[in-house]
Amino acid sequence: MTHDSDQTDEPLNWGAAFFGWILPGFGQISIGHARRGVLAGVGVLGLFFGGLLIGGVDCVDRHEDPLWFYAQAGAGPIALASDWANSALLKSGKVGDLVETPAAMPRATPAMVSSFKTVTPANEIGTLYCALAGLMNVVVIFDALKRRPVERSASAGRR
Amino acid sequence: MTHFSNHLPGHLFGWIPILQPGGSLGNYWWLLLFPLVFGISIAYRATHETQLVGFWWRVVVFTVKSTIAMGSLGAAMYLFVYMIIPLLRVG
Repeated sequence: MTHDSDQTDEPLNWGAAFFGWILPGFGQISIGHARRGVLAGVGVLGLFFGGLLIGGVDCVDRHEDPLWFYAQAGAGPIALASDWANSALLKSGKVGDLVETPAAMPRATPAMVSSFKTVTPANEIGTLYCALAGLMNVVVIFDALKRRPVERSASAGRR
Repeated sequence: MTHFSNHLPGHLFGWIPILQPGGSLGNYWWLLLFPLVFGISIAYRATHETQLVGFWWRVVVFTVKSTIAMGSLGAAMYLFVYMIIPLLRVG
């Protein structure tokens, strides 16, 4: 296992952590570790958009899958935007059709769901991709929180 | 009734990326685990490497190791469920 000498007991970079949540990898970029931030961002965003391509925005649903959403929310505003798109576009019927599903109880009102909703492995795998993207971004955020900014790294190296 | 989706260019191809599920390769859904592990490896190695020299090679190695580890766990679970459990005596 490698240990990064850039991670020390110095003050935590709360601003970088916040930027890292806003856009995955931007936390590292904001403290001067541009390449590291871009690579981390490519990994996290690749996972998240991969999940959306496989399962659609239906994979991100804070009402129906709240526990999964807590993990997905680690990826930042893109998770919130995906949840909004799911509610505002799919569940409202603005995109696709609303189709009636069998009622869960004999006298219950049949639920209307989007024709773009899927219950196949595509939904499960897409949900997993987005959730792991969120969890990996938490790792990336903690890295940005503890990583020494480039100016301080350079001056420490000269000492 | 005309829907918003009818006006999207993607409708021409029968699939609207991001909004509509792309699918999971049917019985080959497990192949999607490889890009999953690859994405995790990129993010993990980007935060754990001291130097980024040879980054992509380390990502590939990490991906292969992780995939073999998960595959081994899957094989062990398969053997346990289909080989060992049937050997257990009931009662």
